[in-house]
Amino acid sequence: MKLRGSPEGSGARRRSLGFLLRFVILLVVFYLIVASHPVNDAVIVPFTGGIARASGKVLNALGERVNVIGTEIRASGFGVNIENGCNGVETALLLAAAVLAFPAGWGQRLLGFLLGFLAIQVVNLIRVVSLVWIGRHRPALFNSSHTVIWQSAVVLFGVLIFLFWASRQTRRAAAAPEEKAGR
Amino acid sequence: MFDSRAVIRLLLGFLVALGVWFLFAPAYERAVAPAAEFLIRLGERPGVTRLEAPGGEFLVNRADFPPGAPHPGLPAPDLHFNFVLLAAFFALSPRPWRGDRVVRLLLAVFCLYLIHVVFLVFQVQSVYATSLGAWSGAHYGAMARNFWAAGFHFYQIAGRFAAPFVLWWLFGRTELAASAERPPGPRRRKKKKT
Repeated sequence: MKLRGSPEGSGARRRSLGFLLRFVILLVVFYLIVASHPVNDAVIVPFTGGIARASGKVLNALGERVNVIGTEIRASGFGVNIENGCNGVETALLLAAAVLAFPAGWGQRLLGFLLGFLAIQVVNLIRVVSLVWIGRHRPALFNSSHTVIWQSAVVLFGVLIFLFWASRQTRRAAAAPEEKAGR
Repeated sequence: MFDSRAVIRLLLGFLVALGVWFLFAPAYERAVAPAAEFLIRLGERPGVTRLEAPGGEFLVNRADFPPGAPHPGLPAPDLHFNFVLLAAFFALSPRPWRGDRVVRLLLAVFCLYLIHVVFLVFQVQSVYATSLGAWSGAHYGAMARNFWAAGFHFYQIAGRFAAPFVLWWLFGRTELAASAERPPGPRRRKKKKT
C-alpha cells in the first residue's frame, strides 16, 4: 500500500503521470505525421486502398459481388468510402503511443506493436466486411453499427492488446530480479 | 492483474454502457449544446450563435444567417460515443460498482463532458472557418482556419479515442495502471556495508 505523500507514493504518481505525458506527446507527434499531406497521400491512402481491396476480396468470396475503386467499395444499391478513422490507423496510433510510452525494452516494444498492428488490422477487416454487409442488408442499423459499435470495438480491442502486452512486460520485469537471485 | 475475467468485465461494461448511451444520448446532447454555445458566444460581438440539439445532431443557427439559409447539422454521436469506451475501461477493475470506483467514474465522465463541450466549440468554429464559402474567407484568416480545423481533426482521428483511455488511466487506477509506475527491470539494491 502506498501512503499519500510518502516518497514512494509521490514517485509512483510521478512515473504514472510521466507515462501519460509521454503517451499524449507521442500521440500528437504521430497524429501530425499521419495527418501531413505527403504521408497521407503516400502511405495512408494507398494503405486504405489495400484495406478496401482485401475487404472486397472477402466480400466477393462471400458472394456479395462488390467493386473496389480506390478506397471505395461499391455494391448494387450501396457504397462506402473507407476514410481516416475507419482504416484502423487511429487505433494503431493509440497502440504505438502507449507501447512506446510504457517502460519496456525496445525489442519487446517493436514486437508488441507489430503483432498488435496485425491483430488490429484483422479486426478492422472484419469490421469493414460486416459494415458493407449491414449497409446492404440491414441499412437501418448501419449508422449505429458504424459510429458506435464497431468504432468502439476496434479501439477497445487495441487497448486490450496494450494491456495484455503491458501486463506481460510487468511480469517479465518482476521475474528478472528473482531469476538473478536464483543464479 | 489483467486476465480473462477483466476481458469479460470489459465486454459486459461495453454492453451496459452501450445501453446507457442509446438511452441518454439525446438528453446528454441537450446538456452539451448550451455549454458550447456559451463558450462560442464569449468570442462573438454580438453573440449570434445558437446551438440546438434535436437528437442525433447539433444544429448550428446564427442570427446573422440570411433567412432561409440552411443550418449546418453536425453529427452528435461522433462527438460523444466515446462515453461507451470510458465506461468499458472502468469496468476492467474488479467490482466496478464499488462506491469509490463509481465516484471516480463520475469524475471521469464530468471531465469527458468538458472535453465534449470544448471539441463541439472546435467543430462549430471549424465549420464557420472552412465550410461557409466566401463568408468563411472574410471572417477567418489562414491561421484561425488551420487552428480550428486541425484541432477538430485531431479530435476525430486521435483525441476522441485517446481521451477515455487517458481519463481511465488518471481516475481508474487499476493494478495494471499502477504497474506502469514501477521502473522497468531489476531495482538496484544497496550493498550492505560490512
